[in-house]
Amino acid sequence: MTRKQKRLSVITAAAVFLAAAAGLTLYALGQKASYFYMPADLQAASLAPGQRIRLGGLVEEGSIVRGQGATVGFAVTDHQNSVKVTYTGILPDLFREDQGVITEGAFGPDGVFVADSVLAKHDENYMPKEVAEGLKEKGVWQPDEGAAKTQ
Amino acid sequence: MVEIGQFSLVLAFALSLVQSVAPALGARLSDERLMAVGRPAAIAGFAFTALAFAILLWAHVVSDFSVLNVWENSHSLKPMLYKVTGAWGSHEGSMLLWVLILTLFGMMVALFGANLPDTLKANVIAVQGWIGAAFFLFILTTSNPFTRLDPAPIEGQDLNPVLQDVGLAVHPPLLYLGYVGFSVCFSFAVAALIDGRIDAAWARWVRPWTLAAWLFLTGGITMGSYWAYYELGWGGFWFWDPVENASFMPWLAGTALLHSALVMEKRAALKIWTVLLAILTFSLSLLGTFLVRSGVLTSVHAFATDPGRGIFILCILAFFIGGSLALFAWRAGSLAPGGLFQPVSREGALVLNNLFLTTAAATVLVGTLYPLLVEAIGADKISVGAPFFNLTFGPVILPLICVVPFGPLLAWKRGDLAAVAQRLAAAFAAALVVVLSILLFVDKSAVFAALGCGLAVWLVFGALTDLWVKAGFGAQPAAIAARRLAGLPMSMFGTTAAHMGLGLTLLGIVSTVAFQQERIVTLKPGEATEVGGYTLRYEGLTPAKGANYDEQRGTFAILRADGRAAGSVMSSKRLYTTRQMPTTEAGIRTMGFSQLYVSLGDETDDGGIVVRAWWKPLVTLIWLGGLVMMAGGVLSLCDRRLRVGAPARRRVRAAQAAGEAAG
Amino acid sequence: MFFWTVAALLTLAASLAVLAPLARRAPAVAAASDRDLDVYRDQLAEVDRDVSRALIGMDEAEQARAEIGRRILKLNASRRSTAGAAGWARAVGAAAVLAIPVLSWGLYGVLGSPDLPSQPLEARLSKQPAESSPDELIARAERALRANPGDGRGWDVLAPVYRRVGRANEAVFAYRNAIRLLGDSAPRWAGLGEALAEQSGGTVSADARAAFEKALSLDPQDAQARFFMNVAAAQEKRYDDAIAGWNGLAATLPAGSEWQQASQRAMALAMQRKAAEEGGGPATGPTTEDVAAADQMTDGERGEMIEAMVAALDERLRTQPDDPEGWKRLVRSYIVLGKTDAARDALARGSKALGDPAKADELVRFARSFGLDATE
Repeated sequence: MTRKQKRLSVITAAAVFLAAAAGLTLYALGQKASYFYMPADLQAASLAPGQRIRLGGLVEEGSIVRGQGATVGFAVTDHQNSVKVTYTGILPDLFREDQGVITEGAFGPDGVFVADSVLAKHDENYMPKEVAEGLKEKGVWQPDEGAAKTQ
Repeated sequence: MVEIGQFSLVLAFALSLVQSVAPALGARLSDERLMAVGRPAAIAGFAFTALAFAILLWAHVVSDFSVLNVWENSHSLKPMLYKVTGAWGSHEGSMLLWVLILTLFGMMVALFGANLPDTLKANVIAVQGWIGAAFFLFILTTSNPFTRLDPAPIEGQDLNPVLQDVGLAVHPPLLYLGYVGFSVCFSFAVAALIDGRIDAAWARWVRPWTLAAWLFLTGGITMGSYWAYYELGWGGFWFWDPVENASFMPWLAGTALLHSALVMEKRAALKIWTVLLAILTFSLSLLGTFLVRSGVLTSVHAFATDPGRGIFILCILAFFIGGSLALFAWRAGSLAPGGLFQPVSREGALVLNNLFLTTAAATVLVGTLYPLLVEAIGADKISVGAPFFNLTFGPVILPLICVVPFGPLLAWKRGDLAAVAQRLAAAFAAALVVVLSILLFVDKSAVFAALGCGLAVWLVFGALTDLWVKAGFGAQPAAIAARRLAGLPMSMFGTTAAHMGLGLTLLGIVSTVAFQQERIVTLKPGEATEVGGYTLRYEGLTPAKGANYDEQRGTFAILRADGRAAGSVMSSKRLYTTRQMPTTEAGIRTMGFSQLYVSLGDETDDGGIVVRAWWKPLVTLIWLGGLVMMAGGVLSLCDRRLRVGAPARRRVRAAQAAGEAAG
Repeated sequence: MFFWTVAALLTLAASLAVLAPLARRAPAVAAASDRDLDVYRDQLAEVDRDVSRALIGMDEAEQARAEIGRRILKLNASRRSTAGAAGWARAVGAAAVLAIPVLSWGLYGVLGSPDLPSQPLEARLSKQPAESSPDELIARAERALRANPGDGRGWDVLAPVYRRVGRANEAVFAYRNAIRLLGDSAPRWAGLGEALAEQSGGTVSADARAAFEKALSLDPQDAQARFFMNVAAAQEKRYDDAIAGWNGLAATLPAGSEWQQASQRAMALAMQRKAAEEGGGPATGPTTEDVAAADQMTDGERGEMIEAMVAALDERLRTQPDDPEGWKRLVRSYIVLGKTDAARDALARGSKALGDPAKADELVRFARSFGLDATE
């Protein structure tokens, strides 16, 4: 190989690698990104069975049911629609009724959302951003509730 | 006293403006006296910033609630350690720490840059001044830590309990030393572009700074990971959280820079690429600062959602990244191009390293920014989490890990791949043995886990092979080889340690992900569960009181498989009274390199409690590996070669002293 | 003044730092190429070291040396002309020196609050009580009680103060502690009742009513308890009972005293309310606002009442001086009322009047724990 050919082949190899990485990234963005929904958005959304999504809203008052063992059932609501959720594990410290929450998982065949992770706000002033915006759009959220943190 | 802090901060801002203008103009006009202004301005700038920071610390320590920042983040009953660390636990305080470290690096360039060409040094100091001026302005206009309250409240609102931990004393200062350390590389790159002159010597000068920033960033990320692991109570060590990614991207780019600067110094090649990489690395650091500070993210790290601040940092970001890239586009053509080289050679291997690392950084960047972009154009709200990164980052980084042991063994200019492969045969054999024994004795189906462990062992032994070969073991009598080993340059030990550390971290990650055991059970006092070959017997809850919290401690006795007692572990649920905020403190018991991790959930009506317990084999290697990598950085910094470029040892000592002073 | 002196000194230091290199003669500058040469020489030395360690072969070393040699040759010794635009440079230098004081003082003028002193908590809590704000006095008492939670008298003094500043929860807690530690007394139970009522937004809850009843069982004449029993009656719309009760209360109390005035006002309100309801107006019972209003109106007078009580205690101690607890209470009361001079006077009188030097000593120590010294 001449010097020029050698250089060309190195550059080609690098370009192929970069193209492969770019292709993989695009594929993964299509497949692995999970969409965020509020309960009221769900009717409009056509979800493939088992598709992972993030579901956010408020924990409906009086909906928390402790089953046997560490399984907990509750409902996520945006005061327009409400979705039943089950979760096995330890709920976050700040998981409370009528507080913002984001759950991640997929709908089971019985229409119950099976969450494998539950995020609550992480301090007393904090409302998950997506939930706050979603609720604001739906006119449910009063800024007082989520008292914007000052620091 | 507090007002003196405010005044020093204002003075530091004025000095940073002088520092931005005078030396740069001096370099332009070839006026030595103007250039010489940079040095005292940088030193005084650090002194006044340090004074301001010390006064903020003092205000926190004595609970001066006439300072808004103290009132918002402190409490008179808070333990002293958290009063001190609380000074940078808030947005304002952490930004002040940020500029403190920035001015510290500016001062160190001024003090230890005696061996730099004057115009280069003047321009470097000036560029540091620009960054400083921008952030001082940001602090003074949007995040002033010295805002006062009159009348002063009698009690503060306490620090977010999640931050009341030793981690806060270590993680942010280390991380900032890393982030901000890359500003020096950035300044060197921009100064070289202004100067229009860049050569192998430039790489020598910039390398110790890159190394120092890299080792601090490594430490910061490692500490942050361990902190999240034990504090958040989820037992995870890496969440692909956007803010973690924000620190990981500069680390990947900085690692690439570390390696490309080596090529540039040795072979005067990759000049333009190295300059670009230096700019990109600090740009990613700035991006990280923006992501954390602007409130565009939902994260444990997001402090404030103040749009004014976000826009201000976005402007800083646009100015520095856009400006430096424009300068690069304009001047890069005028730089003398570097030489060419063979693909199979040390420099060829390092280019490969750069290709993989920057691609990996790019995938992380895409995954981090994509949701923000999608949301910004008003389409869906999406999140990109671990599944994405596992699918993209993994395939990009794994080939790199496979070839890491080859790099240091290849000769410069023209390497002999076959000879290197032969030397690595022993390491390969060791890896093979590990893979097979895992498949045979642990789990037949765990193919990927076995391969992962094998890869980690390959890295560790491959790194050791490098030292073994260079010392001449096998080719020379052992006594001579041992003497030669002792005489090898420190940087070789540094390389070995860093690559070994990577292997240890990988081993920890693979073993934890593949072989950890998890139990989620409801236990009543006296009941037990089994995890990782140990029996955990729940002994019940006992109430206790801390300085500013009440807690319920759940104690578990640990029994071995043969019934012998092996100590106990305690997890607790705390309620911080001022903020009425509950937290969970995980109970962790280390056994060798592995850990038992216990976390308490809610109490059930029938007197039981939900318990989540993990057995995490070799988990501590994840962070020990990080420490070994850091040690590698320190060893390399001690190499005498770098002292011609900059007196590295003194500088590190100064940095440590400053770190201690700040801590 | 201290601040301005320090600020001026700091400004001076910063300006001098910038001025110094400008005033000095231009330093001798090594050509940039010399610095590069240093690095390349070291690279050559390194090649030699590597050869001596046998890390690289002779061929490789020769190639490396040749490459470094080429870099050295390429070093261009001719630098840009240093013929300076000296005038420009001088102007920039002057501007730089001037910028420091102008910018810093200008910006500080916008951002700073030079008149506001630092207020470390410790210093605030050890000030003379007369200069302290009520919040600071409360914090100081809280601190003492945290150190010694069994100090019933401390709770007893703090409880009404909490109630006065509207911290009902703490007031309830303090009253309960005082009752637990010092035993029952009508004022404590009545105070607890009022705090409980405040806690539930001004409504006399079942808890509060029980407390008032307990107070009345201890002292049927307790004005506070009687007043609130009538509030409770008015809440139940038994206006006639309430009005009669208040009327009786006002008659037995000395004219102008706190509860007498409060009763008269409450009575007037209740009559209005009753008339409004009977006239078919909107049926509203005495609302929380009314009670709160009545409460607010009595605030100043309640202070007077406390002063009257303190004066009574003072009088009693003049005639019966051998009462160490009484003296302590008197000193503390004066401190809480912010009358430092009176407190100091009481301390002096008390330590003189107490025959036993040990008891006198204890009184002095007690006063000192509140930051009060016998002598100025």
